[in-house]
Amino acid sequence: MSQSRAIGNRISLASGAGERTSPLGIITATILHVLVIGATLFTFAHKLDLNIQDSPVVPVDLVTIGEKTNLKAMVKEQPKAPPKEDIQPAPPTPQPMVTPPDTQAEAAPDQAPSEPMIAKPEPAPTPKLKPVEQPKPEAKKKQFDINNIMALLNKQAPAAASVRNAKTGARDVKGFGAQNAMTADIQDALRSQIAQCWSPPVGAPHAEDLIVDFDLLLNPDGSVARPPQLVGDSASNAGSNPYTRAAAEAARRAIYECAPYKLPGDRYNQWREINPFHFDPRQMMGQ
Amino acid sequence: MKKFAVAALAFVALVAGFAVPAEAQLRVDVTQGNIQPLPIAIPDFIGDPSGAQIASVVRADLDRSGLFKVLDPKSFVEQVKDINTVPNFGNWRVINAQALVTGQVQQQADGRLRLDFRLWDVAGGSQMVGLQYYTTPDNWRRIAHLVSDAIYQRVTGEKGYFDTRIVFISESGPATNRKKRLAVMDEDGANPKFLTNGSYLVLTPRFNPTAQMIAYMSYIGNKPRVYLFDMESGRQEMLGNFPNMTFSPRFSPDGNKVVMSLESGGNSDIYVMDLRTRSVSRLTSDPAIDTSPSFSPDGTQITFESDRGGSQQVYVMNADGSNVHRISFGGGKNGTPVWSPRGDLIAFTKQAGGTFRIGVMRPDGSGERMITDGWEDEGPTWAPNGRVLMFGRTERGGRGSSIWSVDVTGRNERRVITPGSASDPAWSPLIQ
Repeated sequence: MSQSRAIGNRISLASGAGERTSPLGIITATILHVLVIGATLFTFAHKLDLNIQDSPVVPVDLVTIGEKTNLKAMVKEQPKAPPKEDIQPAPPTPQPMVTPPDTQAEAAPDQAPSEPMIAKPEPAPTPKLKPVEQPKPEAKKKQFDINNIMALLNKQAPAAASVRNAKTGARDVKGFGAQNAMTADIQDALRSQIAQCWSPPVGAPHAEDLIVDFDLLLNPDGSVARPPQLVGDSASNAGSNPYTRAAAEAARRAIYECAPYKLPGDRYNQWREINPFHFDPRQMMGQ
Repeated sequence: MKKFAVAALAFVALVAGFAVPAEAQLRVDVTQGNIQPLPIAIPDFIGDPSGAQIASVVRADLDRSGLFKVLDPKSFVEQVKDINTVPNFGNWRVINAQALVTGQVQQQADGRLRLDFRLWDVAGGSQMVGLQYYTTPDNWRRIAHLVSDAIYQRVTGEKGYFDTRIVFISESGPATNRKKRLAVMDEDGANPKFLTNGSYLVLTPRFNPTAQMIAYMSYIGNKPRVYLFDMESGRQEMLGNFPNMTFSPRFSPDGNKVVMSLESGGNSDIYVMDLRTRSVSRLTSDPAIDTSPSFSPDGTQITFESDRGGSQQVYVMNADGSNVHRISFGGGKNGTPVWSPRGDLIAFTKQAGGTFRIGVMRPDGSGERMITDGWEDEGPTWAPNGRVLMFGRTERGGRGSSIWSVDVTGRNERRVITPGSASDPAWSPLIQ
């Protein structure tokens, strides 16, 4: 509003300088100026009022959300209480992916001259193929750990120790979010990188068959440290369900295809092992 | 209050610092990806000269599926010399191949061909499948389709559909005097064959589950009736001796029955005939027009179209005719329902807004979505794996009709190569 008034004044000064000898002209000019100024008051002023608003100052603190949304559970340290992870049984070894014999190739009765076509699975040529290293589950090593034996003997483990993945510490802390105390940025970085490479077989009839979990070990340069292992339900399902197996292979291809991953090197300890690397294409079905 | 907040923050930071263990395992949930065809390298199969032809058919099959990106053989760095040694995967990674097929064809002493092939996972450096086939040399195309099916099945988890045939209506001549002939061809358009000579009108052909028999409607002697065509003998036979028009036949999943419409006094109802006993039973008895019946893959239900509610809509009933209920509520008129061989979906034709389009919905009517966007797309038919559909399309302006295929996701719409104009396709099951 004040701007439009100032402009109006400047215009009146300029026009007044050109018609200083004619009183009629001055009166006309004055009336016109009043009209013009009045017009600006009624039209622009109304609109300008709407726009002129003081932006409220919002003080913000930049915080890493992982510290708040993603707390690792912690239990108060108790003497002689073995951590839960030590008393867990060894995780099941991932089942090898067995190729079921292909039975679809059969003789065609309508084609008289044709002989039966027999399809039989061929063994993979092994001489030059390095066997895939099956890393031993880590918990297996711990079977010989004196602490582990103590834990197995001690049937009365404190209830507090049953909190999933809980660390011991100075006091109890309730786990929250993914409970791994990681900041979300590493997860987002991995997610956005793998999304470029991941092409799951979304035409399957049951979307839940396509959910797979991997255990992925990474090198400090972001490359894959060892062949990713299927874990959890998907490990057993992939042996029997061809859709799960195809989904697992699609995820495995994506893991290799997108490596090496660009992740903050100074926080390697946070992303050394991705487990579970959980692939769930249900939102992509029907796209 | 402020002090408390600072203290709380400091505490949270402290806890977070403590809680990061040295061997932390990070959980990462991935829910979004990038649907892309799988880059696959298929060099010509070595050995017998037919290996190059076979590989080219496999390449064409997989490319047509839309799920594979078949790499140009000119880009290959490595030449396959022996399929029994592990390839140098680095040479295939540089051309961005994620899968590799190596194959060999050998002529046996008895004149037969022996084909060995292996499918390799290039990134993981392992064999995914390895198979061996024997056949006569003239059967090389089928062997190629079987190889394609095996690769498709291993990569997608679904059975393939390349070793299948299509029966359709071949159209020729001017619109005023159109000849419609029953024709059959391989899924890739090869080996087209006419089964009838075009002297009478034929419509709605459908394969039986062994692909040896075709049920269709014909106007032989100006009496529109359902006929059966035996592929082996070439013989055709009128199905039943009904006083009035019979039409829209389809086999039951076990092949022992044919369900069809029987017209009587301007009304049509759905009947089922047992092919062994030739006994006929009536399934619907409504003054409306009931037609286009299609069995569910387990044979317990039938979907059909009816205008009993005022407009043409899709209904489902039990195989004995009980429990009739409407399932299409998505607007427009809906007809020609076909139950997916996988059982999870029913494909149909929707007429709305002046166009005919192909859609799918679940058997309870939920999840309706349109998968084509043509001017006149109609008469869907499922590939035996329930993943791909074919349908007839008429372009605006009547430039002849053609057959198209589309993925159930609506992707990869392609024209199917046919000799001349064609309509009303029906997909065979996998050839036994």
